[in-house]
Amino acid sequence: MATWLRNLTFVVAVVLALAAPAAAQPAQTSGCETCHKEHPQPALSTPARDFLATDVHRERGFTCVDCHGGNPNETDQVRAKAPATGFKGKPSPQGVTAVCARCHSDAAFMRKYAPKQRVDQEAEYATSVHGQQLAKGDTKVATCISCHGAHGVRLVSDAKSPVYPVNVAATCTTCHADTERMKGYKLPDGSPLPTDQRVKYEKSVHYTAMTQRSDLSAPTCNDCHGNHGAAPPGVGAVTNVCGTCHGVFATKFALSTHRQIFDRGCVECHSNHEIIEPTDAMLGTDKSSMCITCHSDGDNGFKAAAGMRAEIDKLKAAIDRSHALVSSAENAGMAMDEQSLALREAANHLTLARTEMHAFEPKAVTTVLEAGLGITAKVDAEGQAALEEVSFRKTGLAVSLGAILLVVVALWLKIRSLRATD
Amino acid sequence: MTQQVLAWLDERLDLSALRAFVAEKTVPKHRHSVWYYMGGITLFLVGVQVATGILLLLYYRPSASEAYESVQFIVSQVQFGWLIRNLHAWSANLLILMAFVHLFSTFFLRAYRKPRELTWVTGVLLLFIMLAFGFSGYLLPWNELAFFATKVGTGSAGAVPVVGDFIVRFLRGGDDVTGATLTRFYGIHVAILPAITTVLLGAHLLFIQRQGMSVPLSVEKREKAGEKIPQEPFFPNYVLHDVMWWYVALAVLAALSLFLPWELGTKADAFASVPAGIRPEWYFLAMFQTLKLIPSHVMGLEGEMLGVLGFSVAAGLLLVMPFLDRHAADGRPSKLITAAGILAVIYLVVFTIYGYLAA
Repeated sequence: MATWLRNLTFVVAVVLALAAPAAAQPAQTSGCETCHKEHPQPALSTPARDFLATDVHRERGFTCVDCHGGNPNETDQVRAKAPATGFKGKPSPQGVTAVCARCHSDAAFMRKYAPKQRVDQEAEYATSVHGQQLAKGDTKVATCISCHGAHGVRLVSDAKSPVYPVNVAATCTTCHADTERMKGYKLPDGSPLPTDQRVKYEKSVHYTAMTQRSDLSAPTCNDCHGNHGAAPPGVGAVTNVCGTCHGVFATKFALSTHRQIFDRGCVECHSNHEIIEPTDAMLGTDKSSMCITCHSDGDNGFKAAAGMRAEIDKLKAAIDRSHALVSSAENAGMAMDEQSLALREAANHLTLARTEMHAFEPKAVTTVLEAGLGITAKVDAEGQAALEEVSFRKTGLAVSLGAILLVVVALWLKIRSLRATD
Repeated sequence: MTQQVLAWLDERLDLSALRAFVAEKTVPKHRHSVWYYMGGITLFLVGVQVATGILLLLYYRPSASEAYESVQFIVSQVQFGWLIRNLHAWSANLLILMAFVHLFSTFFLRAYRKPRELTWVTGVLLLFIMLAFGFSGYLLPWNELAFFATKVGTGSAGAVPVVGDFIVRFLRGGDDVTGATLTRFYGIHVAILPAITTVLLGAHLLFIQRQGMSVPLSVEKREKAGEKIPQEPFFPNYVLHDVMWWYVALAVLAALSLFLPWELGTKADAFASVPAGIRPEWYFLAMFQTLKLIPSHVMGLEGEMLGVLGFSVAAGLLLVMPFLDRHAADGRPSKLITAAGILAVIYLVVFTIYGYLAA
């Protein structure tokens, strides 16, 4: 290879090596940061410091000018922010979404950094209550930076991000639990927008699942209200929203007569933010039941509720009884694995019945429960047989030990008589 | 009827020598005689193991996917399968206990002294074989505890210098405990070990019959002084006594099998986390606990390796004890040997209990 060609190859390789990772390399400290991080006013120094510390954009090579404009190479403050440099300064609330959307709504651009990320956030935001209020000139509402932060932005998957699932409720309630800030906002029915959502949510099964069982799939605010298109689910949409996860319940409920009657769908019985652990006590005609809120003694709904609850209780009692029987047989040394497995199947029928109940059709519930009762009856018979077997074995052992003892005594006597003869 | 059968056989096989042996064989009678039945009980338990083991073979399936289920089937579906499995498991444990009792009684009575050195050597080898039976049989139900205990147990062999890795791979049939280990252990448990046992046990019994029963040093001294040591006929006196002890062992076995059935536990899962309180069978517990207590490094050497070497040396010394203890052959008990024996018993008992409590 000619020397000139070798040199050219080397130069091209060096240029490519320097250019290729540029997009993924953190940006060098710019002139903006040099001045701002030491600025005596916290409002001007904190953003620079946050951006320098941890920021997903900075890590991908973006700098201050990508959002704010200006010339970072200019050491003079006035010239650095001259109109010719495209300096924008701090975007107004209305301008924030446009600044973010310049990149985040550009599919071709985003593909280079996060190919799987959606690019319709701006369009969604415009449909949200926040976006609509902002369009009306209400600058108190949340924009992109209210939730994601402006400087020191972290990936959603970063546990320290304000929009990481376990942090979402705290992020939303920064504003929504602020009674002063929420003053004047109203629900579609005209009532004041409540500020106790977080207090209620923290009592819910969803919050318990997320925080105590570390189940990040458990819903938080944005799972029901949407994130960029945040708005309360409208009447008629609640069942669909709950059904996103609770599909079977939603399907059953869709078949029920209550579907036509319950304005707020699932919320009528289960509440919205304070969704406590559902129990069988919610069904039936006891004081704690939800059914008596509408039904009274004598009507068909009252009878159906009482009947379904009684049958569920019957299977529950049967399972408990069978468990006790199986345990006592197991404690006596009998292998009862199959029966234990069968009881799990019976418990599945109980769960199925509780699901089926959402169609509020007693016949369907009864069919499922009867199948469960059939299983417990079989387990009871086998448990009883096992205990009889234990009794048989004990009798057999007593007889055997008696016979062995007789033989031992007989042998002992024989040995003594032989010794006496000797 | 019996007489007729014997006469029929006598006519064809000439049983006069056997009849003379039965009529003439005697055993010495003294205050230590009770220890002489321990070997008989051990032999009876070997018989129980063979009989119950053969019955278990009819249903047991030696593969990782079926072993656990087949044992489950034996104890829950097969008629008296629960009894056979429990007898096999309990008898295995009693067998090893009685083998230890037999060993130490023989040790302290110095029955290994000349000319019975080979009886001792075959007996010690049989004890090692019984331990191998226990180790290989423990894995066969393929439950969680046995799986992880076997992992630890076979892993300890890796501490042996130079050939450690080879031994581990040889025992496991690969790098880890898998279905290959199970089939390997099964083959060892039902074919290789029984074959070795047959040879060793045959030799052990043959030596006893050939040389007769040893008497303790104190009795031998009296005998040498001219005192006549009382004897009793081997048949029927001694045999009946033996049978009586066998019946007692059978009663204990039956009661244990019913009231303390051997747990099957949960099926082994190689991907499950190691369960808490994992430990080997009680007869390996003293060794297990010792290995746990030895620091990871002692004077630049790996602690586990040192422990394994220590046990190997102890086993070797035990095997050649008749050749080390020259005093016994001269009729003089060595205080050093007695002290070593007492220390060994104390060590085994204390460390076994400690191992249980620590787990």
